[in-house]
This record gives sequence, structure tokens and C-alpha cells, in this order.
Amino acid sequence: MSFVPKTQPYNGKINAVTLGTGDKAIVIGGQNVLPFYTFDAPIENAPKIGVEVSDLASSWEWPALKEFYAGCTTMADYAKKAETIEGCDFICLNFVGADPNGANRSVADCVADAKAVAEVVTKPIVVIGCKNLERDGELLAALAEALAGKNVLFMSAKNENYKTVGASVALASGQKLGAETADDINLAKQLNIMLKSLNVSPESVVMDIGTAAVGYGYEYAASTFDRIRLAALAQGDADLQMPILAAVCNDTWSVKESTASEADEPAWGCMEERAISMEVATAAADLTGGADAVVLRHPESVATIKKFITELV
Amino acid sequence: MALKGLDIFKLSPKKNCKECGSPTCMAFCMKVAQGAVSLDKCPYFSEEALATLNSATAPLMKTISVGEHKLGGETVLFRHEKTLVNKNMFAVCLCTDCADKADEKIAEIMKVDYERIGERMYVEFIHVANKQSDPAVYADLVKKAAATGRSLVLECWDVECAKAALAVCGKDVILDGATPDNWEAMSAVATEAGVTLGVWAENISDLYDTVKKLEAAGNKNLVLDVTGKTAKETLANAVLVRRTALKEEDRTFGYPSIVNLARIAKGDDRLQTALAAMFVEKYASIIVMSHMAYAQALPLYGLRQNIYTDPQKPMKVEAKIYPLNGADENSPCALTVDFALTYFLVSGELERSGQPVNLIITDASGMSVLTAWAAGKLSSSTIKKTFEELDIANKIKNRTLIIPGKVAVMKGEIQEKLPDWNVVVGPLEAVQLPKYIKDKEYEAGAKAAEAERAAKAGTVKEEVKELSFEELLQTRVPKIEIVDMGVQYKGHNPEAKTFVTIGERIHCIAPSIRKAMDERDPAPILERAAAQIKAGATYLDVNIGPAEKDGPERMMWAVKLLQENFNNVPLALDTANMKAIEAGIKVYNRTNGKPIVNSADAGSRIGYIDLAAANDAICIALCSADGIAKDNEERMVHCDNMLERGLSLGMSSDDLWFDPLFLVVKGMQDKQMEVLEAIKMFSDKGLKSTGGLSNNSNGAPKDVRPIMDSTLVAMCMMQGLTSAIVNPNDRRLMETIKSCDIFKNHVLYSDSYLDM
Repeated sequence: MSFVPKTQPYNGKINAVTLGTGDKAIVIGGQNVLPFYTFDAPIENAPKIGVEVSDLASSWEWPALKEFYAGCTTMADYAKKAETIEGCDFICLNFVGADPNGANRSVADCVADAKAVAEVVTKPIVVIGCKNLERDGELLAALAEALAGKNVLFMSAKNENYKTVGASVALASGQKLGAETADDINLAKQLNIMLKSLNVSPESVVMDIGTAAVGYGYEYAASTFDRIRLAALAQGDADLQMPILAAVCNDTWSVKESTASEADEPAWGCMEERAISMEVATAAADLTGGADAVVLRHPESVATIKKFITELV
Repeated sequence: MALKGLDIFKLSPKKNCKECGSPTCMAFCMKVAQGAVSLDKCPYFSEEALATLNSATAPLMKTISVGEHKLGGETVLFRHEKTLVNKNMFAVCLCTDCADKADEKIAEIMKVDYERIGERMYVEFIHVANKQSDPAVYADLVKKAAATGRSLVLECWDVECAKAALAVCGKDVILDGATPDNWEAMSAVATEAGVTLGVWAENISDLYDTVKKLEAAGNKNLVLDVTGKTAKETLANAVLVRRTALKEEDRTFGYPSIVNLARIAKGDDRLQTALAAMFVEKYASIIVMSHMAYAQALPLYGLRQNIYTDPQKPMKVEAKIYPLNGADENSPCALTVDFALTYFLVSGELERSGQPVNLIITDASGMSVLTAWAAGKLSSSTIKKTFEELDIANKIKNRTLIIPGKVAVMKGEIQEKLPDWNVVVGPLEAVQLPKYIKDKEYEAGAKAAEAERAAKAGTVKEEVKELSFEELLQTRVPKIEIVDMGVQYKGHNPEAKTFVTIGERIHCIAPSIRKAMDERDPAPILERAAAQIKAGATYLDVNIGPAEKDGPERMMWAVKLLQENFNNVPLALDTANMKAIEAGIKVYNRTNGKPIVNSADAGSRIGYIDLAAANDAICIALCSADGIAKDNEERMVHCDNMLERGLSLGMSSDDLWFDPLFLVVKGMQDKQMEVLEAIKMFSDKGLKSTGGLSNNSNGAPKDVRPIMDSTLVAMCMMQGLTSAIVNPNDRRLMETIKSCDIFKNHVLYSDSYLDM
């Protein structure tokens, strides 16, 4: 053989973080090569897929999605149904409705929902707050306490509220903690260092590094992924070796491609197919960049991305 | 790829004959490596050595042109390292097995054709796969594909079929037909037809051998079909081929690649979309799809546009009226800049409001609102220009114009330039727009603006005559009062070699200075000037803001105020208003050095060099055109262009101070050494240099910034930097500069040199 490919395994390794408990527990992270570079070294732990369960899911207007969840009224109903999707590794509770500038759902209501979900599902749970800094401080603390012992991942602590969120979620309740920054590798590293100095164990941190839907400034996300992964693996930067979760559903379902009706854009064809396609393409790009877990909304997207991952590892 | 001097020396004649002008062969080779001398100055290199050297300096990955499309030519594995050069193409396949559906498929392909942020999105290539052995059948199908006018990929391993196909199509074709078995014959067919040859093999090792053979036979017009049996194998091939070429510097794999998803996606269109997204990021030059409807095109072309955008240049959208939610001529207007992200954010939020709004995008060189305003790229004049060019007054009847809350200061000026409109200040952040629009919060503002206009309409408009600088000086510039600030400027010898610090603290971005300039209040300005002079600043920068309206009188006042109070301290005049700079120079006293014009660039501000030349001033010349230069090659092209312009206008090269554009560490850490190299290049040319050095530490904690700034200034002075725009109140920085001047032997050492 004249050509012998040079392999490139790295000394640096992404932390393996366990979510959930018992035989349904999953591990995210653990690689020591770039995503899907199986020719450099075997990928021992494939990326994981979460299914979004939103507290505002009743407003979803995509026909097949509506049909799939027909009859579901509570978050627990949705979660139970979501868990049955082939390829679903974890359930992601998205409390968008708690935003005081939006539906303004109370913390108590959210806690009740989360508890009800925890009763009926066995797969690991990830919680996403409403992104309002103040409300999230309160909401995530209450949810972390309510879901004690379930080994839940909470998204996220940010630069502005990491002290309160870090203390309540990780230190007081012993749950896993998300660290969120927006396309800024320096801040991502800094936030991880600050959490460490707060005594949050680096092995319990998962990063949200800020993503976008493809076509919407995705170049920033792509380069942030590349740079963070290279720093973690090639430079062995321990402060960036946390696995990455990408909440794709939060990026793709509000853009025009996914929401413009067929009447408004007759040339574009079926709205729901476009929405699935945006979610699938964005998830694939995130996984290619370095996401260790993606959160998806549509059962068809889950099926496709499951296939995608299986084909590649 | 750059060769090191020692590599060249190994191949040199080692005669030390001095005919080239260098004392030794070693010295000559070092100069060649730096690009200072051309290799042909030495007649004694053997042909073999020359061939080796030439191939070693050739690009690692070839650029292959197929019709109007360019493939390959990449120099990096990751876009943040530099930039990706040639975007991947998309192809959709036709096949002889389903030739009966060809017309239908072609019609489907042609349907996807639209524009997104100035780029045409369509299927660039039609891929025609041959799965049978009758040349006539294949030629028929190829003919249909060729009739579309799109470029073609002919996937055909049968030599006779390939010949027949090439006879019925043009030259913008890739014949994807060479295999380890037929490469010789297929290469002859492609060469004769003058088309690019595609090469495919069962495995990557056979592919490598086949390329070697083709190259040895003289065919280097190749594309590599890296499609494997599975998606996994295909990704491995695509990455290894690119990595081998760029990292291992093995040019055998230095060709563009084709990935045929129709072969590996197994008829699953959604899986195909996912795989295509991956291959846009990972190294396919042509991605072949079995379908491309809008559902696939919208995400994939959007992704491609993002990935292949130049990281140094902002993405711009076209300046025009975007009617949202069915807006018509009676709908209100909202205005913002042409930076693509701003556009997406603002249009998205406006759409969410559900109300018809005309979004007017104005030209601002692709900058965000505040950056554009500070740089003079978003002003009442640029807005007026957009309104005129787009003929907005005639296209829209509604007269409500909402401007971004961040530039509320511009309201008055815009109202003046667009007297028929009711200018309203909108919210600060885009997320506030849906509520603002839905609740029609702008109506009150519009009514107030209208009432104000009506009130003004009654008064007779004063005829404004343009005044000369002399008249302005007499009538509009307040008399300067001399205030004892307890410090005096101690003078500056323009001939001295010591480092020139330009104090940056008198800048309109500071609210106190902006207010002082507006009100002609000397105190805050004198205070900042005194502190900087006390700290040892050589020059003071005077930034009066965009100053559209009263620039000349503002600048004359500021120049006189500072020079008369501080012993004619030399100044850098800093504004987007050229008339103001000219006016400032008219009243400028040159005792302690010429005025500095801050600043020209190689793009839209090139005229500042002319301004400096006409007024015998020094000019800061920023080595960028639109956006940050992508590498030092580009910086030096800008440098040479500006130097040439200055010299041709009679300037001395000492009066052009080149600015490499200091980049912020947070975000552009990997470009810092490049900036340092650029400074060395200026210095090697005998040129002076300067720049906003403290930009490097933007966003870093306050206590860290002085450490970063002083370290960088020491490194820069080592490279030959002669000046910098800095905060002189930073003691650590100023002491570092003084110490460097000692080591550079520009100042004679004494124990108390820091106090001098």
C-alpha cells in the first residue's frame, strides 16, 4: 500500500457526564477525536438526542407534530409520548412559558409540571429555563430541589447569574449544570473557570456555547465549535473539555423557513417539511462541529438524526 | 507554502560568487525565503533544483475551474484560521436507469433559483450517471442535461459512452470516469475534450495510486470522487484527502472532491439533508444530491453562505425597502443598517409583530448600528443618500420613520435632512419591537414630530449661506480663554526617533466629551488634555465625532482651545467630516510638529491622503479597505497603494504612518502574531507605523488591560512600531514605552529616565 493515512488522536479528552439514574442513564461526551473522526480513533460514546417537551407545546401549529401529540394536554402527557419516540435518549423540559415578558407562568406551576413529568418518564431529564435571568435564578433553583436525586441537567448558568444558579443547582441540589455563553470562546472558558472556583465540579458541567439556525449567522457558531473542540483536544485545555449540548429546537422553529405558510411562500412547498429540514440540517451541522447532545422537537427530525449518528459512528 | 531559507540553501550552488549581490549563498537564500529577492538573480541553480523549489512553492491544493465555477484552492482546514475560498457546489443527479423521468427532474431542478443576501442560489451542476453500455442512450440523457445550460458532472466509467456524451455537451464538464482500471483511456478522452477528469477508486489507497499515475502521465486537471460505500467511509475519505493535502503537504491529494450522496443516502431525503450539511462543513467541493427542492435548498444554501463567508468581512444585505407582513405604501417605515445579522434580527422581530411595516435598510458598510454611527458610515447624509437613491419618498406615502433607539442623537439631523418625514426614535433593542409596533407606540412620536414640523413651517426658513473658514472663525468660534491647568506641554522635536504616543482620551464616544463639544464647554476637554500631557503624551487625538452639521467650527474651536492653552501641543484631527479636518489645519500651529490626519484607509477613506497631502499634514494610513485585511499579503497591497498615492501627491514617506489595525485578543487571538509581522514589514520598508494599540485588550478586565497593553507595545517596538494611539494615563504602558526607547538607544540612559 502506497498511501498510509496519518491518524490524529489527541491527548485531550472531552469529559464524560452521566445524566439520569439506573439503567436508563446516559453519558454525554467522552471523545478524544473530532466529531465522527472514527478513522483517528474509535468513538466510544455516540452523541445523544433529546426530545423537547415545551410548556407552550399546545401552541405548536405544524399538522403532523400536532397529530403526533394529539390528546396530550399536560407536560407529563407530552413527555410520556415523547419518550416513546425511537431514538429519544432523554427528555428536555423547556420552560419558555415562565418568561415574565411572555406567558409568565408561575414557578409553582412549573415545579408541579416537572414533578408530574418525573413521575411518568424513566429516561433522563434535561431542563431549559426561560432565559430571563432573574426568573431563571428562582425557577432553576426550585426545579433542582423538586427533582432531587434524578441527576438532572439544568440549562443554564450565565455570566450574569452563575453564582446563584451554580450554588442552588450544582452545590445545594447536586444536579448537573449547564454553562451558557454566546459564541464567545474566551467567555466560555472564563465561565467554566468561575464555576470551578465556586466549587462546582468540572465533571458536572455541560456547555451551551450559543448556536443559531443555519443561514442565520451560523458562521459564528461553526467557528466557536471548531475552536472550542480544538482547544479541548489539541491544546488539552481542561477548562474547555466539558461536553456541549445544543438546543437546536430553540434556534430553528422560529425562523421564517419554518413558520412561513404555504400561502405566503407558495414556491417553498410544505411548511412542516421545511421546518423538519431546518432542524435536521442545523442539528447535523452542530454535531459535525462538536455537539455531544442535541435537543430536537419533531419526531421525524429525531428519526433522521438518529440514523445520521448511527451511520457515522 | 513558504520555504525556509535553509531548505533553499540545501539546493543552492554554494559557490559564494557574489554575482547576485549578496556576500554568500546562505545570505542570498535567506533573502529569497523572505521574498526580498527573486530566485532568478542567481543563474547557477540547477534545473532540477528549480523544479523542486517551484513545486514546493505551488499551492497545496489546486484550484480547478469548470466553466464559471471555481473548485478547491483551499489553504486551511478550519474557517477561523483564515478563510475558505471557494464555496462548495451542489449537483442533482439524473440517471440512465430512470431516463424517462429526466424531464420532470430537470424541471424540478430549475425551480430552485433565488437570491439570498446578494448571492444567487441554484443547482450549479447537473450530475448525469451512466448505468448501461449503449453510448446513444447516455448521450441522449446528457444532451437533455446540457440543454439546461448548467455545468455537468458525467459519472461514467464506460469509455465509449463517455466519448459519445462529451460530443453532445460543452466544456464546463467534469468527466467523473477514471478508475484504477480505465484511467489511461479515460484520461485521454478527457484531455482530448479539454475537460476536468474525475477519479474514483474502491478505497483511498487505490485512489492515491491512480492520481499518482495520472499525474505522471501529465494530467493534473483532476477532481477526486471520494464517495465510499457508506457515509462513514465517505467522511473519512473527504477528511483524509483534505488533511493529507493541507497538513501533510502531500499534493497528490491536493484536488477538489466530489461527494455523491445519492449513492449513500439510500433514498432518504432527510438523511441526505443531514449528510449534506456535514459535507458543507467537511470538505466536499461538489455535493451530489438526488433531490433539491426548497425544503433542502433553504437550510443547505443558508449554511453554505455562512460557512463560506469571509470571517474578516461582515455579511451585508442589499440596501432597499423590505415590505414586511404585506406592507404597502401606506405602512410606516423602520430604518436600520445593512449588517446581515442586524437585518435578520430586526426583520424577524418586525415580522413577529404581525403588523405591516416597511423595513428600510440603509448602506452602512455592513457595520452594526453603533459601530457604523461612530465610523461615520451611518449618518443623516448616508440616510438621505439611501432615500434619494431608492426614491423612497415617491414609493411610500406614509411619512412615519422609526430610527434605532441606539442612535437617538441623530434624530434632529435626520429630521433636518428629511424635512417631509416624521422621525421617531424606536426602542433600544430589537426584542422590544413586536410590542412597540403592535401597540403603535410610535404614533405619539410621529404626531409630535409632525406638530413640530408644522410649527416650523410657519416660520420663514433662513437662507443658509455657506461660510468660508475665515468667516466661520470670526462669527462661530468662541474666543478662547486661557486657563491655568498647572501643566505645560514641554515641546516635541519632530526629528527625534523616540516613540510617539498619541493620547486617545479626547473622544466623542465619551459622553462628557460629546456634551462638552456640543456646548463648547472648555472645562472637560482641558481637564483630559492636561492629564494626558502630564502623563507624557506626545500628540493629542481630537475626535469630534461624525460632526456632520458644524464640523469646521467645532474642529477650529477644539484645535485653538488645546493649542493656545498648552503651548501648541501637536494634534491628531479625528473625524469623518473632511471639511472639519481642513478647517482645523487652517488654524493649526506647527511649532511642535505637523498635524496628523486620522485617518485614511485603502477603501472609501483613501481621499484622506489627498487631504493630508494638500495641507502638508501627516496621515495615518489604515491598511484595510472594507473590513479587516485577510492576511499580510493584503495588508501590504493596501500599504503599497496608499504609499504610492501619497508619494505621487508629493508627500514624504515619513508623513504616512501605516496602521496594521490592532485586533482584539478576545476573538482574534490567533491573528496577533500576524499584526506584529506586519509592523516588521513596514519597518523593513523604512516606513513609520502607528495604530490603536489598546484595541487588543478590549473587553478584558480593567486591571489586566495595562499588562496586556504594555506587553504588546514592547513586542511591537521590537518589531519597529514608531507610534501608537494609547491612553497615556496608563502608567505601566508609558513606563514600558520609555524603557523600550532606552533599549532601542533612542534616549540616553540616566537613573531618572522614567521621570523625564
